[in-house]
Amino acid sequence: MPEPRKKSLRREIEALLGPNGVLSDPEELLSYESDGLTLFRALADFVVFPNTAEQVSALVKLANREEMPFVARGAGTGLSGGCLPAEGGLVISLMRMNRVLEVDYENQIAVVEPGLVNLHLSWAVGPQGFYYAPDPSSQQACTIGGNIANNSGGPHTLKYGVTTNHVLGLEVVLPDGELMWLGGKTRDPQGYDLVGLFVGSEGTFGIATKIAVRILRKPQAVKTVLAVFDVVDQASEAVSSIIGRGLIPAAMEMIDQITIEAVEDAFGCGYPRDAAAALLIELDGLAAGIEGETERVVEACREAGAREVRAARDEAERQALWRGRKSAFGAYGRVSPAYMVMDGVIPRTKLPYVLRRVNEIVATHGLRVGNVFHAGDGNLHPNILYDPRKPGEEERVVAAGGEILKVCAEVGGSISGEHGIGLEKADYMPLIFSEADLVCMHRLKEAWNPTGRCNPGKIFPSRKACVEVGAAYRPHPIEEKGLAQRF
Amino acid sequence: MSLVPVDKLRRIVGAQHVLTGVECSPYTLEGRTPAAVVFPATKEDIAAILVLAGAEGIVVTPWGGGTKLGIGAPPERLGLVIGLSRLTRILEHEPGDLTATAEAGVAFGALQVSLATRGQWVSLDPPRADRATLGGVLASNSAGPRRHLYGTARDLLIGLTAVMADGSIVRGGGKVVKNVAGYDLPKLYIGSFGTLGIIAEATVKLRPRPDVDRLIVARFHGLKDAGGGARAIMASDLVPAALDLIDGEALRAIGSGEGGAALLIGVDGILDRVEWQCAEVSRILGPLGMVEAKVLDGEERDDTWRALGELGRREFDDVAAVMKWGVLPTQLAEVLEHGGAIAQRNGLRAALAAHAGVGIASAVLSGGGAQSNAVVATLTEWRAMVLASGGHALLEWAPLAVKERVAVWDAPGPAARIMKGIKERLDPQGILNPGRFVGGI
Repeated sequence: MPEPRKKSLRREIEALLGPNGVLSDPEELLSYESDGLTLFRALADFVVFPNTAEQVSALVKLANREEMPFVARGAGTGLSGGCLPAEGGLVISLMRMNRVLEVDYENQIAVVEPGLVNLHLSWAVGPQGFYYAPDPSSQQACTIGGNIANNSGGPHTLKYGVTTNHVLGLEVVLPDGELMWLGGKTRDPQGYDLVGLFVGSEGTFGIATKIAVRILRKPQAVKTVLAVFDVVDQASEAVSSIIGRGLIPAAMEMIDQITIEAVEDAFGCGYPRDAAAALLIELDGLAAGIEGETERVVEACREAGAREVRAARDEAERQALWRGRKSAFGAYGRVSPAYMVMDGVIPRTKLPYVLRRVNEIVATHGLRVGNVFHAGDGNLHPNILYDPRKPGEEERVVAAGGEILKVCAEVGGSISGEHGIGLEKADYMPLIFSEADLVCMHRLKEAWNPTGRCNPGKIFPSRKACVEVGAAYRPHPIEEKGLAQRF
Repeated sequence: MSLVPVDKLRRIVGAQHVLTGVECSPYTLEGRTPAAVVFPATKEDIAAILVLAGAEGIVVTPWGGGTKLGIGAPPERLGLVIGLSRLTRILEHEPGDLTATAEAGVAFGALQVSLATRGQWVSLDPPRADRATLGGVLASNSAGPRRHLYGTARDLLIGLTAVMADGSIVRGGGKVVKNVAGYDLPKLYIGSFGTLGIIAEATVKLRPRPDVDRLIVARFHGLKDAGGGARAIMASDLVPAALDLIDGEALRAIGSGEGGAALLIGVDGILDRVEWQCAEVSRILGPLGMVEAKVLDGEERDDTWRALGELGRREFDDVAAVMKWGVLPTQLAEVLEHGGAIAQRNGLRAALAAHAGVGIASAVLSGGGAQSNAVVATLTEWRAMVLASGGHALLEWAPLAVKERVAVWDAPGPAARIMKGIKERLDPQGILNPGRFVGGI
C-alpha cells in the first residue's frame, strides 16, 4: 500500500479506536503473520483492536470501502492457517473484547465476548458449580470466538458434543458490516439454523461479536482410569469393547509409545516407558452407579489384554494421570526439533487399520510419528516428528500428511475433526466432497460474503493466497511459556 | 401454472408410481390438491423429477409421513407432491461406531425398532414416530421430551444427502461423529421444511439404549408450584432425561387425573442411578407442594408419553389451533398460566404443556365452534404475550380461515435477509415448497 494512503487510513482508524488501537509498522505486524500453523506467513497492512461490536462494524465497512480483505483473529492458536492474514489487508483482533457480559445460572446461559479465553469462561462460572463444556486442549489460550469459527472440540466431545451444540445465539458483523443477531437465548428460533451454519464457517461468514452459550452444571462425580497395553490393537479393542458394553465415557484418550517415551523423558508422569499404548478413560455423572461403571471399564480393558489398569483414587491422582496425556505435545520437543500436528477423523472401528497405515506412511517418508487420539470419537492427531534444518524434510512431512488424509477419506472419515480446513487443507477438500458439494458450499458462502473479502482464500481449493511457505519451525509464544499445548 | 407432464413422470418412476386426478385427494394440503403425486424409488429418481419440475416451472412439495405438513403459510398452489414412501432402506448401522445411515422415507419408529435389535437408539422422541419419517423429522426439526437431556436433531445429525432444486445430489457432513470439514450443511436442512432441497439420506449418531427407563408423574396444585418444582430440579444434581411441565387441561387430556398441574420427569440409565434419581425427586419436590408422585414403567409409561405427544389431536374433538412457543425456562410457568387465562377469558379451553428445561411449550386451543373470532383473538394475544417475553410463537396448526387472519410465523428480523439470500441461491426458481416459510420464503 502506498505510504500516503496507509497514513491516511491509519489516521482514520486511530480516530475510531485511539492511537493504541492499531498496528501498522512492519516489525509489529510480524507477530500476526501466521497463526499456530507457522508454515504459512503473510503480512497484513493493519492489525486493529476494536473494543465494541459497533467498532468492528465500522472497521468492516471501512475495509469494504477501501476494497481491502479482512480476517478476524482471536488468540491465533489455530492450526490450519484459518486466521492467516490476507496479504495487504486488515487483521481484526478480538482480544480486547474479552468480557463475560452476563451469566444466567437459572436458565443456564452465558453471554460473552469473542476474545474471552475459553477456560476463563469455565473459571467465571465455576464457583457456582457450572462450566462451559467444549474444552479444546488449547483452552488456556484459545478464545470463544475462535472456537465459534472452528466449531472446536476437545477430549469430551463424545459425551458432550462440540461447540455448535452449546451455542444458542450469535451477534455478528456480516461481511458488509451490518450488525445483527442470529438466534438468541431461546431454543428453536424460526427460520434456517443460521447459528449452526455460522459455527464452523472459519471466519468466512462474518465476525461474531457476542456469543450466547449454554453452561452446564458440573457432574456430581468423575472417575479416571489409565490402562496400559503391550499391543496397540488391544487398546483399540478396549475402546470398542467399552462402547459395546453400552458405556459412553466422558473422554477416551489414547497415546502411543513414542509419545509415552517423550512424556516420561520430559515430565516423568509414571507411564510405563515400554508400553505400546496407554488409554486414559474418564467417566462422569451421578455418583450413584459410577463405581460399577468404572468396574466395567476396567474389565473391558483387562479383557482386551491390558497389562495394567489404574483407577485414580482421588483428585490429585486424577490430575496426575491426565498430566501424562496433556503434556504430550509439550514433550515432543524432547525427541524431535520440530513436529507437525495432523488432524483427521475416522470411524472408531477403523482405528487399528488406520494407525497401521499412518505408521507405514510416515516410515516410508523416513520420518517418525507420535500419535495422540481422541479415541472415543475417532479423531486422530498424528504428530509427524522432523528436523526442519534438514533439507527436504518439511516437504516430506507435508507429503506424508496428505497421504494420511487420503487414508482417512478412504475409510469413510473426514479430513478435519477439529482444526478446520483453513488454508492448510483447502486443496484436500475434493477427497471427501464432490464438485456438486463444493458448488453448494460456494453458493452458501456467496449468500453471506458475496465480495469474498471476509477471510479470503480459506476452506476452498482455489488460487492460494499469497503466502510464504516453508519457514523454519518456530513454536508459538504461548507454547514457549508452557501455557498451552498444541493440538 | 404449467401442466404437470405426467407421461415424463411415468417414464422416470413407472406408471404405477404416479397418481393423478382423484387419486391425489389423500394428498390435499390446506384445501389444495396437487396436480400429481409421484413416488421416486431412489435419489436419482428424485433428481430427475426435480430437473423436470425446474424445466417446466412446476412447484414441488416433498411429503414424508404428512404429520407436520400443516406447518406453514397456506400454499398458493400445489403442483407436484413428491412422496418419499419408497425410500425406506436402512443403509448402514455400525454399532461399534454408534452411527447409522438411512433413507429419508423410513418411518422414525421403524428405524428405532431396527436399531434396538443391537441395543441402540437415536436419542430423539418426536411425536407420531409411527408415521413421521426420518427426513420429515429433520425437515420439521421435530422433537420430544427427551430433548431435555439428549438435545434435538442438530445434536444428532452428522451427515446428509439432499437433492437440490437443480437436480444435483449434494452431501454435507459425513459418517463420523466429529467433523469440521466445510460448512455445516446438515444443520441448514434441519427445520428447513423442504425449501432448500429434498433430504434423501441422513446419517445420525446413536446411543446405547438405557437399561431402565421410568416416568415419574409428580402432581401439584397448580402451575406455580409445578414450575417451582421444575426449577428446583434444574438447580439440583439430577440429570433427568425429560422434564415436562403440564397444566390441568393437559393432565386431563392424557388421562392422568383432574386439574392442578404436573411435572412429567423421565429418568433413564442403569438401575442404581434411576432408583437414586426417583428417590431424590421425591425428596426435592416433597417440600415444594408436590401432592403425589407416581412412577410408571413399561406400557403405562409409553402410553403416557405418547398421549402427551399427541396432545393436539386427542381429547379435544374440537381443536381450534396449536401454537409452539419458545421462551426462557424461568418464564415458562408464568407464560403458561397467563396463556390459559387468556383462552378462558375468550371463552375457549387451552391445554398447555412444556419442556421445562428448554422453554419450549405447546399450546392447544379448543372450542369456539365455527366462529373463529375468539380463536383469532386468543392466538393474537398469545403471540403478543410471548413476543413481549422476548420469545417466539409459531402457529403450528389452524384451519385455513384462521390462518388467513393470524400469521403462522413471527415477523422475521434482519437475519431474514441472509435466509432469503440462501434460498435464492439454492432454489433460484423457487420451486421447492415456495411461499410457506418464514419471511414468505
